[in-house]
Amino acid sequence: MSEPLLVLDNITKNYGAVEALRGVSFSIAKGEVIALLGDNGAGKSTLVKIISGGLDASSGTMSFEGRDFRPKSPSEAKAAGIETVYQDLSLCTNVDVVANFFMGRELTRKVMGINVLDEATMEAHVAKAMASAGTRIPSLRTKVEHLSGGQRQAIELNRFVHWGGKLVLLDEPFAALGVEQTKRGLQMIRQVAAQGIGVVIITHIMQQAFQVADRMVVIRQGVVAGDVPTKQTNADAVIGMITGETLTGAGPVAGVGE
Amino acid sequence: MQPRQRRSLEFVLDNLVWFMLLAVLAIFSATIPNYFQPGIFANIIEQSSVLGVMSIGLALVIIAGHMDLSVESVAALSAMATGILFASSGIGMGITFTPGWLVVPASLLTGMAVGAVIGALNGYLVIKVKMNAFIVTLSSFIWVRGLVVAISGGRSAQNLADEVRFLAIQRFLGIPLTAYIAILCFVGFSFMMAKTRFGRHLLMIGGNEAAAFRAGIKVDKVLMIAFILSGTIAALAGWLLAIRTSGATANLGTGMLFNAFAAVVIGGVSLKGGVGALPGVYAGVLLLSSINTAINLMGLPPHYTQVIHGLLVLAAVLLDTLKQTIRKKLA
Repeated sequence: MSEPLLVLDNITKNYGAVEALRGVSFSIAKGEVIALLGDNGAGKSTLVKIISGGLDASSGTMSFEGRDFRPKSPSEAKAAGIETVYQDLSLCTNVDVVANFFMGRELTRKVMGINVLDEATMEAHVAKAMASAGTRIPSLRTKVEHLSGGQRQAIELNRFVHWGGKLVLLDEPFAALGVEQTKRGLQMIRQVAAQGIGVVIITHIMQQAFQVADRMVVIRQGVVAGDVPTKQTNADAVIGMITGETLTGAGPVAGVGE
Repeated sequence: MQPRQRRSLEFVLDNLVWFMLLAVLAIFSATIPNYFQPGIFANIIEQSSVLGVMSIGLALVIIAGHMDLSVESVAALSAMATGILFASSGIGMGITFTPGWLVVPASLLTGMAVGAVIGALNGYLVIKVKMNAFIVTLSSFIWVRGLVVAISGGRSAQNLADEVRFLAIQRFLGIPLTAYIAILCFVGFSFMMAKTRFGRHLLMIGGNEAAAFRAGIKVDKVLMIAFILSGTIAALAGWLLAIRTSGATANLGTGMLFNAFAAVVIGGVSLKGGVGALPGVYAGVLLLSSINTAINLMGLPPHYTQVIHGLLVLAAVLLDTLKQTIRKKLA
């Protein structure tokens, strides 16, 4: 966990006069799970969008695997190996499960010189991925609009596990999931991290953060208000950082952990 | 509801327009004398060719969640360009080639290039400048028609070369070659929508543009291609129209936009985007022209056609809403 995968240096983002981010710096190592915490409007989602190429930072630099990194679009970030699961679901409900799973990277085969969608192979891949994650969906040819919120979120989670990449960003991934599915989702995150993939998870639920994360990064009013290993802190201390009761840049809480 | 019942209900909803077409044909055949004969059906298919081709382009853009009101005027401009350059009487310049058949690709490419340019302009304004597609293409609808009137001076061009006219005159199984061009377009673009990545991306952009963008689909590029295709296909429709009428007049094709719209909506394409398939659109076009033929056969004054078309558009939008309500209940 020593080699840094992504390093953010003094990232800022302005919307006109409004400063959403005022200089955020932190880093993620390979195989590390970071919980990105903060109150509503603290700038977490903005930060995720900057890393995933949906937004351009106003200033600051990022480096990914040691190289300068400034994605202009989600497809660029994706090509670099960054997968994102957004808070509001990123599914096209008018097409089926298979089409959503392979959205933007459909498999094709050549028929008389024309690239034709290879539906059978794609369906087989999806069936395998769903089965290994224990997600049950009646038919993979069902349009997503007919599926429940939990099933939809399961598709998104399975999608990122399947594609892997090098870094995964999860923006409130469990909002629509039940207890059992959430538990499985958290296990999935640990499995993904065990493969050496970096994971950033945004969550409001402190318990989830403590279950899954190696490190807590707290954003408050557009700056990093705390960056501590999970083992060296506790829920009260983290809540203190989120609400601002603790001083900015507070370190490990005395007497916890080691 | 049982899954099987649900599936059959969905099948009916997805293919509603084909059932409607069969029902309408059956009713007309039973009640209108002389309706049920091969010549009439061949005529219906022939009449569907120009409108059918135009509807394809419109449908592509609407499925992608946008709008192209300019198709009718683009078709007229393409027809006028063909007429002015290659027709021999009126304002036609009567350009000829040796060998003579070269006029076919030359006129086709000229027309389609005109359409592609206007489609690209529409696309640029909608996608890059981020203007509303309805307004952008409404403006094109007006200025392109204005351009047609301006370059023709309100006059017409007649007499296209026989080598082009051949396509409208020569029949195979009682149907002129132009109708086969339309059918070929439907087959080709239906295949594109159902089986290629581009078609899949277009459908997904219509369903959820943000999700498609986040998934790494180059939304701007796909939409731009859709607008260019719409313009080019409309121009192809205009070219077919010029061939059929052996020239072009300044008001050629007036009113086709609303018929194309009616066909697309009746064909099961939702104006909200992301829903619909091209075979249904062809059925919608056939349905409209079956009704036209019936009106002609019954000897009703032609003004009634307009009344009925207007009501049909209304009925189609109502049907669209109704289908969505049923689908919501299914979910």
